[in-house]
Amino acid sequence: MSLKGFIIRRTIYIVPVMLGITLMNFTLINVSPGDPVIVRIGLLQCNSPECYNNAYNREAVEMGLLGQDYYTIPWFNRYVDFVNDLLHFNLGKSWYYTQAGEGIPIAQIIKERAVYTVVLNVLSFFFSLLLATAIGVVSATRQNSFWDRSLTVAMLLGYSMPLFWLAKLLMLLSFQLFNFTGVANKEAFKKPLFLNPNFYKYLILPTLALTLGGLVFMARLVRSQLLEILRQDYITTAKAKGLDNRAVIYKHAFRNGLLPIVTIIGNSLPGLLAGSVMIEAVFGWPGLGTVFLEGALFRDYPMMMATNTIFPLLFLVARLLTDITYVFIDPRIKY
Amino acid sequence: MATAEQEQTGEFLLDEKTLREIETMKGAGQWSIVWRRIKKDKMGMLGLYIVLFLILMAFASWILLGFDNWLTEQGVLWGNPYNEYSRNNLFIELWLPGMPKDSPIVLFQHPRHHFAELAKLPPSFAHPFGTDGTGHDMLSRVFFGATVSLALGFIGQMTTVIIGTFLGSIAGFYGGVIDEILQRVIEILYSMPGFILMIFIIVLFEDVNIPGGRYAVVVIFFSLIGWGGTALIVRSNFFSLKQQDFVEAERALGASDMRIIFKHILPNSLAPLIIIVTLGIANTIFLFAALAFFGFGDPNAVSWGDDLNKWQNELLYYPWMPMFPALFIFFTVLGFNLLGDALRDALDPRLKD
Repeated sequence: MSLKGFIIRRTIYIVPVMLGITLMNFTLINVSPGDPVIVRIGLLQCNSPECYNNAYNREAVEMGLLGQDYYTIPWFNRYVDFVNDLLHFNLGKSWYYTQAGEGIPIAQIIKERAVYTVVLNVLSFFFSLLLATAIGVVSATRQNSFWDRSLTVAMLLGYSMPLFWLAKLLMLLSFQLFNFTGVANKEAFKKPLFLNPNFYKYLILPTLALTLGGLVFMARLVRSQLLEILRQDYITTAKAKGLDNRAVIYKHAFRNGLLPIVTIIGNSLPGLLAGSVMIEAVFGWPGLGTVFLEGALFRDYPMMMATNTIFPLLFLVARLLTDITYVFIDPRIKY
Repeated sequence: MATAEQEQTGEFLLDEKTLREIETMKGAGQWSIVWRRIKKDKMGMLGLYIVLFLILMAFASWILLGFDNWLTEQGVLWGNPYNEYSRNNLFIELWLPGMPKDSPIVLFQHPRHHFAELAKLPPSFAHPFGTDGTGHDMLSRVFFGATVSLALGFIGQMTTVIIGTFLGSIAGFYGGVIDEILQRVIEILYSMPGFILMIFIIVLFEDVNIPGGRYAVVVIFFSLIGWGGTALIVRSNFFSLKQQDFVEAERALGASDMRIIFKHILPNSLAPLIIIVTLGIANTIFLFAALAFFGFGDPNAVSWGDDLNKWQNELLYYPWMPMFPALFIFFTVLGFNLLGDALRDALDPRLKD
């Protein structure tokens, strides 16, 4: 089979999994008790039932609930509608993010916010991969040295540190040193975004936190993979034929160590996404994670459905890319 | 196999490491070998001590608080006898024979009682961890929070492992359609980041009224969605073990499937299960703490994560309030990670660096 056929087969394979995921989310929403309108009203103080009913109706109309047949159409038909809308890239309107009494289309919100998440995640992923490789190589080639031991202990400590708390500690440190908490505010996101120096200033701490979070995870991996490979016979052969250390490590050992590392990084993407949600919440970074958390807190069902469709889709696409990368890294792999 | 005597007579030339390993193995069963290996692992022992200390702390606080509540209900304990509003005892005290009756040593403040005049005190001799924004003693909160924090981790992880082991063994033993279905279900469950899926579910089901409060909902759903990893590992173990001769022999003797699964194959795949449980408890405690930190815990519960959530915004000016619960979460995760790594090295030395 050709490479093209393999890619097409794997891409089509995403469809049933996504159907399963959306069906699960949709069922969960529909069997859950509680009324989103009541959550939205919150701690409304009312003396009479009329006042409460009025408020209820006002909110329900604003959320677009009374206009639709939300309560009458059976849920399976609504699921078919949802999938249909999804195929037309129509994610519905938000219940929480409203403008002039009407919900903002979710696709628009996500389009606006995705750039923040992408910048943050791509930057920190790049940095953590780079640093993890460096640390892993240093640790593995000088096994049991002072550097290896201290790096291993540091990685272990970082691995056990909850990511959200690491972010908080960074915030405290920066506050003590520079009187700067790094909690994002409006001036950081003035357009044009990429020419705004404040944007980069507020980007530093979230990126640092997310980098550290991914770094401790990956560095352990790179180290153990490299150690295993350095014990193989062909490394001894390479050394015996007089190659210098650098060539042995980077040409012979590291390339073979890449494959398992790529696998685990591809599979760890859900963890990285969850980490991104945590970091965004701590630093008030207005990316997709914050949108998801706020939507969840206010029971914005359309928004929750949308984010819970996008996150798994991202993960599945990343895994697809991982599988395709294999083929290029390892010529032995048959597809 | 070479013994020490043979080595002395020079019949074999063995390097020091192998000799030490042989010394470890001499006259011992599998579990005592594992124990001897762990004892040599300094980091592993540190993890074991941390874990034992925390478990002791959780049990001690559970028993103390249980007794205290029971005695209060019986009407034996009174708080301030001159104040009729204070029908509860406010302190957990130690009184030893020979001490003056009216001034026992105050061990802990009751975790649910607070004194407004004691709010926001920095750490001192009377309050080693300081006091929080409403006047709870942080040391007492941390001590009594251990029960819920650790119990949630244990219960959540044990249920996922039990469900995962059961489903994984059935799928691995029978294969075929059951295995296919199980794999597809796991694929769907694992495409969602656990943290995000848990938030999604907690938000939807926070209104459910079941005994145990919100954390019961959290644990139930955690065990319903978290079993995939265990099931996959058990399944692959079963695939390799069911081809072995001892299973064939057992089948020839006429043993039932259930007997083969639970009496023969499962005990042989115990080692990975122990590692999963130990490392998994660390992850579970971390997950529940993270959920609580972002406001998806039970604000009425006394647990580290919820205290952390309550005082996280005070970090810049009153750092001790959130610092100590966070520190204990960190130590717990660290302890279980160290112990889990040591157990993995001891149970399966091939995996060792």
